[in-house]
Amino acid sequence: MNGITKVFSRQNAALYTTLVLVFLLMTVLNGEKFFGVGNLFSMAYQLPVIGLLSVGMMVAMLTGGINLSIIANTNLNGIIIYMVLGAVVGAENIQNAGIAPVALAILAGFLASCIVGFINGFLISYFDIPAILVTLGTMTLVNGLNIVLTKGYTITGFPSTLNFLGAGSVLGIPASIILFVAAVLVISVILNRTRFGFSLYMMGANPVAAEYSSVDIQKTTIMQYVLSACFASLTSLVMIGQFNSVKSSYAASYLLVAVLASFLGGVDPNGGFGKVGGVVAAAVVLQFISSGLNLLRMDPFMITAMWGGIIILIIFARAIAGRLKSRMQSTR
Amino acid sequence: MHITKLLRRREIVLVALIVILSVATHALNPNFLSLENITDLLKSFTVLGIFSLGVVMVIVSGGFDVSFTAIAQVVQYAVVALFIHTGGGNIYFAVAVAIVFGTLLGLANGAIIHYYRMPAIIVTIATQSLYYGIMYVITQGQLIYDIPGFFWEFADARVGNFTGAHGGSFGLSLPTFLWFILGVILFFFLSYTKLGRSVYASGGNRISAERIGFNLARTTLFVYGAMGAIAAFASIVHVSLVQAVIPNSIVGSEMQVIAAVVLGGASVTGGRGTVLGTFLGVLVFAILSNSLTLLKISSYYYDVFTGLIILVSITANAIQVKRQKSQRIRVQIDEEHEAAKVGAAY
Repeated sequence: MNGITKVFSRQNAALYTTLVLVFLLMTVLNGEKFFGVGNLFSMAYQLPVIGLLSVGMMVAMLTGGINLSIIANTNLNGIIIYMVLGAVVGAENIQNAGIAPVALAILAGFLASCIVGFINGFLISYFDIPAILVTLGTMTLVNGLNIVLTKGYTITGFPSTLNFLGAGSVLGIPASIILFVAAVLVISVILNRTRFGFSLYMMGANPVAAEYSSVDIQKTTIMQYVLSACFASLTSLVMIGQFNSVKSSYAASYLLVAVLASFLGGVDPNGGFGKVGGVVAAAVVLQFISSGLNLLRMDPFMITAMWGGIIILIIFARAIAGRLKSRMQSTR
Repeated sequence: MHITKLLRRREIVLVALIVILSVATHALNPNFLSLENITDLLKSFTVLGIFSLGVVMVIVSGGFDVSFTAIAQVVQYAVVALFIHTGGGNIYFAVAVAIVFGTLLGLANGAIIHYYRMPAIIVTIATQSLYYGIMYVITQGQLIYDIPGFFWEFADARVGNFTGAHGGSFGLSLPTFLWFILGVILFFFLSYTKLGRSVYASGGNRISAERIGFNLARTTLFVYGAMGAIAAFASIVHVSLVQAVIPNSIVGSEMQVIAAVVLGGASVTGGRGTVLGTFLGVLVFAILSNSLTLLKISSYYYDVFTGLIILVSITANAIQVKRQKSQRIRVQIDEEHEAAKVGAAY
């Protein structure tokens, strides 16, 4: 139980209040439709993509880094899966591929993603290059590879066994949300209960102190970016099922949304602080907003604008709250 | 000693890269080093080049900006729509209006970043979504084709006019010339004015800069305001060259501009970066894209090469910095050793 209470720590009380308020606001605006089974299901199917990417981004941001290559890596994963399937069972038979080739393809995609994560972590830690630069480079490179591999086309037609994770359901619950919850539980344990997780927070809070406390910075950084890449891989599995296709330019706009969700969720962009629960709550808030406004038939760009506006409002709100706090302390 | 020192300069490495790329391309396709091709090449990278001048200043100051493309997009749409609506006007007036509008949008970034002590990347992601989203909602993403004639004239104007070997005339286009002029101005500004030096100082070490007495609020506001102004100017050049307002044609290119600046030797942690290096960084990308076209290599490979060049150059630079650091430490130890010996002799 302790683990679960830790996931939903008190630190993010303001965020949970926002979550409830946004939920109420969207309910008032949309009426019953927002509670409708259709909407709840569509949110449950969409949330894992934002959620998994945000948690993957959070892992990189915990040490003050960033992973700009996460979306390119997600797309690479899907493209490798398709190509391996095509190579194993032949291009015509992909849709009827059995379990064994599908498992092999997933493994190959996963390995490809991990290699990109390894390159990120290696360059960042062994050469002391800022993460934003390294991942900008790998983002461009991997994106280029994706374009070369697909010739810029959309590739469609995946086997139904593979689509299950994104589009299927177990006892009425979407499989993607089950995967997401499982991934969140695993990452919470990794971050809160393992030496590696503790090292990450320490490196973010004070890298010099971490080094002198015999944290292996290089090994930890490589593990960190491979872990972040694992989330790209999971996202890819969900996305394949939802779109039944892969493309080099899918989900490009989610890159900044993932950074935004991490920031909203209380992850300090300079590193050291941030809980999984906060990031998940932030992803849910963003999903509520986008689904709610969608139901209102609002322009999708209005949603983009609102996401931007919300960050700025939160910056203002946090500054005001901080000032009030310090004033109250000084009057005491 | 001189040669090793020279080799350490990023500019020399870039020049070498440019020469190698050019010679290799020229050997395979003799059209490459013709004046026609070079002036065309520069013209097509003028917008990116102008953007890069703003971005290098922001990065040198220790900041970051991904919203400049959104600012350019918004300003472009607003200015063109305004001049179509009112009729008349001229290019000077259009540039002036654009710069005022762009400066205001940029100042908003600077104010939030400085006064709320927020990481620049978060703030500019937010303003990018905000500016771009609002523009799209208001305009519904409609394209504008019937842009006023003075934009066309601006793009077609040339500085110097030559007749090529095949009878076609060519020359340095006016927008390209203005890009160079802006670069020269920025170079003198950053090198020889107090405000310009404060940009380097705030990026190098904020606390020292503040203690020396630089007004960092002014520096930050100036840097982001100027970024907005430069982005606005670039957007006017862009609409003149493209001859239409396409609401999603600029946003999305920000990472390529940042890559060019970084390739030019600017450090994302601030304090280092030059106008010349940035120009060479843009040139490498320009030549690369042109080489691929002339060599009939599919443009699909452009991003692969771009990514490789970024990764190789930042890694080479990091190795260099590491080596310099360890050398410095060795010198220090040697000096201490000598001092200890001298001390012992007494």
